[in-house]
Amino acid sequence: MKKRYFGKFLMFLMILFFYLPIAFMVIFSFNSSKSLTHFTGFSLQWYERMFNNSAMMESLYTTIIVAVIATIVSTVVGTIAAIGLSKSKKIVREIVLQINDFPIMNPEIVTAIGLMLLFITFGVERGFITMLLAHIAFCIPYVILSVMPKIRSLDPNLADAAMDLGCTPWQALVKVIVPQIMPGIISGALIAFTMSFDDFIISYFVTGGGVKNLSIMVYTMSKRVNPSINAISTLVVAVITVSLIIVNIIPIIKEKRQKQNKTMFKNKKTPIILSFLAIATAITLIAWPKQSQVGKYQGQTLHVYNWGEYTGENVIAAFEKETGAKVIMDLFDSNEQMYIKVANGEPYDILVPSDYMIERLIQEDLVQKLDKSQLNCLDLINEDVKGLPYDKNNDYSIPYFWGTVGIVYDTTKVSEEDLEKEGYNIFRNEKYKGDIYLYDSERDSFMMALKALGYSMNTKDQKELEEAYQWLVDCVTTMKPEIVTDEIIDNMVQQRKALGLIYSGDAAYVMSENENMGFYMPETGTNLWSDAMVIPKNAKNVELAHEFINFVSSFDSAYDNSSYVGYTSPNIEVMDELSTTDFEGINAYTPRSNNKNDEVFVYDEDTRKVISNYWSKVKIAASNAQ
Amino acid sequence: MKKFSQLAVPYIVWSAIMLLLPVLLIAFYSVTDSGNSIVNFKFTFAHFQKFFTDSSFLLILWRSILIAIKTTIICVLIGYPVAYFISRCQERVQNILVLVITLPMWINMLVRTYAWIGILSDGGIAQTILQFFGLGNSSLLYTEEAVLLGMVYNFIPFMILQINTSLSKMDKSLLEASADLGANHFLTFWKVVFPLSLPGVISGISLVFLPAVSSFFIPKLLGGGQFFLIGNVIENQFITVGEWNFGSAISMIMAVIMMLSMYAVRHVEARNSGKRKEKKA
Repeated sequence: MKKRYFGKFLMFLMILFFYLPIAFMVIFSFNSSKSLTHFTGFSLQWYERMFNNSAMMESLYTTIIVAVIATIVSTVVGTIAAIGLSKSKKIVREIVLQINDFPIMNPEIVTAIGLMLLFITFGVERGFITMLLAHIAFCIPYVILSVMPKIRSLDPNLADAAMDLGCTPWQALVKVIVPQIMPGIISGALIAFTMSFDDFIISYFVTGGGVKNLSIMVYTMSKRVNPSINAISTLVVAVITVSLIIVNIIPIIKEKRQKQNKTMFKNKKTPIILSFLAIATAITLIAWPKQSQVGKYQGQTLHVYNWGEYTGENVIAAFEKETGAKVIMDLFDSNEQMYIKVANGEPYDILVPSDYMIERLIQEDLVQKLDKSQLNCLDLINEDVKGLPYDKNNDYSIPYFWGTVGIVYDTTKVSEEDLEKEGYNIFRNEKYKGDIYLYDSERDSFMMALKALGYSMNTKDQKELEEAYQWLVDCVTTMKPEIVTDEIIDNMVQQRKALGLIYSGDAAYVMSENENMGFYMPETGTNLWSDAMVIPKNAKNVELAHEFINFVSSFDSAYDNSSYVGYTSPNIEVMDELSTTDFEGINAYTPRSNNKNDEVFVYDEDTRKVISNYWSKVKIAASNAQ
Repeated sequence: MKKFSQLAVPYIVWSAIMLLLPVLLIAFYSVTDSGNSIVNFKFTFAHFQKFFTDSSFLLILWRSILIAIKTTIICVLIGYPVAYFISRCQERVQNILVLVITLPMWINMLVRTYAWIGILSDGGIAQTILQFFGLGNSSLLYTEEAVLLGMVYNFIPFMILQINTSLSKMDKSLLEASADLGANHFLTFWKVVFPLSLPGVISGISLVFLPAVSSFFIPKLLGGGQFFLIGNVIENQFITVGEWNFGSAISMIMAVIMMLSMYAVRHVEARNSGKRKEKKA
């Protein structure tokens, strides 16, 4: 029959569609290079990195622990609640079931922000506990939903009958009712486990204190090509596949045996539950956090909130080894994102914001003065980044990286003449339509627009800001740019586009990886920025934070940071060393200091609000122009 | 018996705090103007006004709904034949096929979406295949099509499983009866099988449409930073802009739209099944 062939073909395509990405992931987890498109040879390096990356292993551990506890709690509570509700007054039952439907009927993001608002409004510190509570909250409704129909189909007199025959109510519940509704309970538990294991949106909004599950980990790491993500995914795939195969083979074997002797598992799903416990234990054992090291600060934790892709490969590990403390690092990709978390009371010990944001944090009394007697690094710092207007005596901040903003370009596609003639207006030259990257930063996008128009980037003039906004809207609607953050780094290394707005440090990295790339700073001026370490008011481990600042500023760590990431080090020796070795001849590595149009960003609350709103509208305009 | 009803009390308290209160808080934030605290607030409808008077917000809402509708239609068009095929297989094969479709769902959604980045990026396998067939050389990643693909990929299993459940529950003797009464395959499908599978299609639609409208990581990973849907606007308001009141207002608008459309879908379904029952009687 023709139809069957069509069906088989369709099924085949479907399976291909489902498994192609998974196969792809597995294959590229063994790739010897970083590329996601070309397989260059077999290697286990990404697995090695994954096992050495304690944050990654911990995220796996968190995912499983949360899923297991949430499943157990929500199954028990949900079942009890469902039994109770079935005997409640109709009106009570209807109302509770309606409320119970909220997480199922509402978009997940609504549930997520609702829970986030709940925790923040009532001052609950966000972290593992809030994530667990949230998971339990959205899992119970699914359990109730799958248990309820089973209870409805029970004879309502069953419990009475049991009690008439001498059971206590408890016995009637456990020995009579629960066994009858077992299939519903088990499928409820399965749904709960899957929902919790897979959850991203709710976890993302309610977590804090550096607690991440696998989804959050992948989300924050996905900006740069990172095959370790493939490795950890492959691990999960392998364990799940093996256990599901076992689950499905057991019944077949049993069936065969059943033909010989009749009594076997009463419940088909028991092996599923058993195997889940097995998976959970297996992954837990693999992912169990390593014991912390010995040292002066053994057992203490340092919470750092830093930019993504901003630390050298070994800095954190070296710090942990030296002090014995454990470092939990959270990553942000904009100052604003960092500010919101900090302003809402999230306790970190170290932050690495930019100049204008430090000014804001000082104004709003969110950071504390450094204890200079505990610091030994001030003399190592380049005079050019010391005593800047936002913190004149470095009372609050010690520089981490510094640089400028400019244009990264493909020298084979873009002529230097165009750049010199047009400056930032090259982003509106239709010759490069569809061939440009903008950077998703409100501050630097407005810097670009204002400088292109010949204004100061610190202007408070509403008209000039409005003009800059129009400039950006025109740019995104006519030029079809991609608005990116760290993705620009790998993409420019691959020469995917001709032009991009970029931070000097990222440009230095791009140029060191691909010699066809150039970096240009328009004469109309740029943003001279610096990012610095500060200690928030609500820091829990101030002493260790000072220790960290010293450590990061020392030659070895500063060298590791700067050579790995590409940003200019404030440590003068490191900068001198690297500009003659790794980054020799790369103009992006040494910030310019002789252009009168260059400025340092100054914080102004009213202007920020205006820019912030404009920028989110620019992005909406970009999206609508698609 | 009364004792059993007391078992519900803890959950009633819990659901009031963990399920009802959050929604009330969003509603509260959406009509007040006090930043991120609930001390010293003032009631205002400015946030709703801001949303409804700005065409770019309305356009983005419309585009989110449109892309969710597209996703849903594709999921029905592809998912239905697949589910139908599965339901016509032998039981053992059926179980295996259902497992094959469920298996990827156990693997984290973000991880699976991330995997598409490599396939779709420039010089990747998808582009190579398209070039081989001479179908152009354009970028695949960071386009609307990539987002659509990601959504279909993530949500189609729900559709297939829902339709398959309703198809395989169907009494097979109905098909024989229909054939006995002279209907051909097509007529049997159209008059018997399809109407009976509608509840599955409808619950599939709600399982696909709902997450598709509000999704924000699929557009972000596969659409790039310049691809905004309403979910991204909400995320942006909470994570980067910090206008929680406005973000809450958008969430309320979205929640209301979703609630209404879900009730509409369920209402249509209820009316249909009502008619069927009447006919039977």
